[in-house]
Amino acid sequence: MGASNHLKANMVQKQFTKTPSPVPAAIADAELVRSCRAGEMTAWRSLYDRYAPLVHRFSAALGIPVEEREDATQDIFIAVYRSLRHFRGEAQLSTWIYRIAARHAIRLGRRRRSRELMRATILREKPQPTVDPSERSTHLATLDRLLGKLAPKKRTVLVLFEIEGLSAKEISDVVGCPENTVWSRLHHARAEMVKTARRMVP
Amino acid sequence: MKWLDSPQDEAERLIREGLDGAAQRTGDEITHRRVWAKVAEEMDSPRPRIVGRFLLVGSALVLVFAAGALAYSYLPRHAEVATAPAPAAPPSASQPTTPIEAKPVVAESQNKAIDEVPISEAERAPGHVVRTRVGERARVGLGGGAVADLDENSAITWDSQHRPSVERGTAHLSVPHQPPGWRFSVTAGPYVVTVVGTKFDVRLANHTVEVDVSEGIVEVWRGSHSTRLAAGDSWHGPLNPEDPQPRVAPAPLAFEEKKGEPAQSTFDKGESKLEPHASHGVQEAQAALRAGDTQRALDILTRAAQGSGPAAENAAYALGHMMRYNLDHPRQAVALWDKYRTRFPSGLLRIEADLSIVETLAQVGDARAALSEADAFVARYPNSERRLDVQRLAERLRASQAASNPR
Repeated sequence: MGASNHLKANMVQKQFTKTPSPVPAAIADAELVRSCRAGEMTAWRSLYDRYAPLVHRFSAALGIPVEEREDATQDIFIAVYRSLRHFRGEAQLSTWIYRIAARHAIRLGRRRRSRELMRATILREKPQPTVDPSERSTHLATLDRLLGKLAPKKRTVLVLFEIEGLSAKEISDVVGCPENTVWSRLHHARAEMVKTARRMVP
Repeated sequence: MKWLDSPQDEAERLIREGLDGAAQRTGDEITHRRVWAKVAEEMDSPRPRIVGRFLLVGSALVLVFAAGALAYSYLPRHAEVATAPAPAAPPSASQPTTPIEAKPVVAESQNKAIDEVPISEAERAPGHVVRTRVGERARVGLGGGAVADLDENSAITWDSQHRPSVERGTAHLSVPHQPPGWRFSVTAGPYVVTVVGTKFDVRLANHTVEVDVSEGIVEVWRGSHSTRLAAGDSWHGPLNPEDPQPRVAPAPLAFEEKKGEPAQSTFDKGESKLEPHASHGVQEAQAALRAGDTQRALDILTRAAQGSGPAAENAAYALGHMMRYNLDHPRQAVALWDKYRTRFPSGLLRIEADLSIVETLAQVGDARAALSEADAFVARYPNSERRLDVQRLAERLRASQAASNPR
């Protein structure tokens, strides 16, 4: 067995015990969406509580730096709030949120790269990555470096498969490409990652 | 292909461990609560309807054309574009700036009326300066709808990152609300003032940088340290942080001094000290908690809470949270949350603190205090998503009180 489905294999450890959510977790996403559309703030809070950790983790894995992550999560949920009426329920709610988050991360990444390029070209200044103190552990820093070497499309597929535990079908819904393309991108992303990691090992 | 299936392979081990760690990077609860506070605020302010939006865009376009026509016909007679050499770079721009020939624009009007100084996108480049002489004032468009009104004998330039930079005197800035993901920044000496949409003044005088906020919220940054100011707040810091503290009369504190305790201000008002990123402290404490060192976690949070700015606010709230849910001391938790709301009456986590106090008091059986807190909560947050829950809790508490005192 490979290393896929890390999320399911490693249950997230809660350090600060969570206070009870106003809506029980057992309520299905479809019902939650109906309540949100009816304008119930309790349902919105519940939807946020349910998906905020996912959005945070996904944003981090897609390379949104720590100082932008809070704003990014906020923007993603505002986008969810504004477009939930367009959610047709054909895909899972989580898949739809992943799609919004992925687009936002790519947009932010593009903006960041052009900013860095401008600085590098005009000021001959190297970008200085900021590191979250809680993410200074070697393995996370290494993973971020490895993921940073991948092209955004390959990175998104690898993150969705290996960290978020989505199936190829779900990933194809998120990124909007055929399943075969998902497998192909995953194959190349894995190969590139292993190759880079081998170069890093003394 | 074979993927991460050789336990002996060092490169694969690196990837495996990284992926394991990444799956747990879900953010802390305090951060989620802060973000929710902002999302809920945004939900409360509805967007204009489609027709309204068209009308809004249409009127904005008409206004822009009118302003452009006015500027075209009026400004050439009042502003003169000189070709003096570029002045020294602002103190914050430690990097070499591009050798762009500066074109200082001097507003000539001798009366107190504000002259519009047209600045094109291309001119908002490092080294370009707009300055006013004695008796002159000028209005400078900074892009994105932001405007700076320069007082007499003031100067504004653009730094190496194309941010406007107050170089001398006083600039009154007005920044319209920025779209999600966008922030407006202006620099003054080593400080960067960041806003989403607000009105504020930036002043450079006597080797001091001063910021006064009239509307909205701004953040003052130096490196990775920051402080947040709300409407009515003032802040000052030394132009050269290595200098001793400037002799400036301290700005008034927003909240009254508590008996027997030193005065503490919210978000560093009147102080030049800047605090680290909002999530610092809480994350370190979480790491200590993960390692099983509760005392260290408490020490970290206590130390962080003694500071100021968003980091202190988060730590002050997290202390109560930890006391309640990790150490099971509900009374002490209530006292800590109460302390939090005294220090940060308009804090982002204020609603969470109020809610936590209501719930905790009800859980420990202090019905009278819980009821009073619940009533205060319902009155304070009529639109909260938790209002109905709190109302139901208050009804239950009233019923149990009535049952225990049947008269």
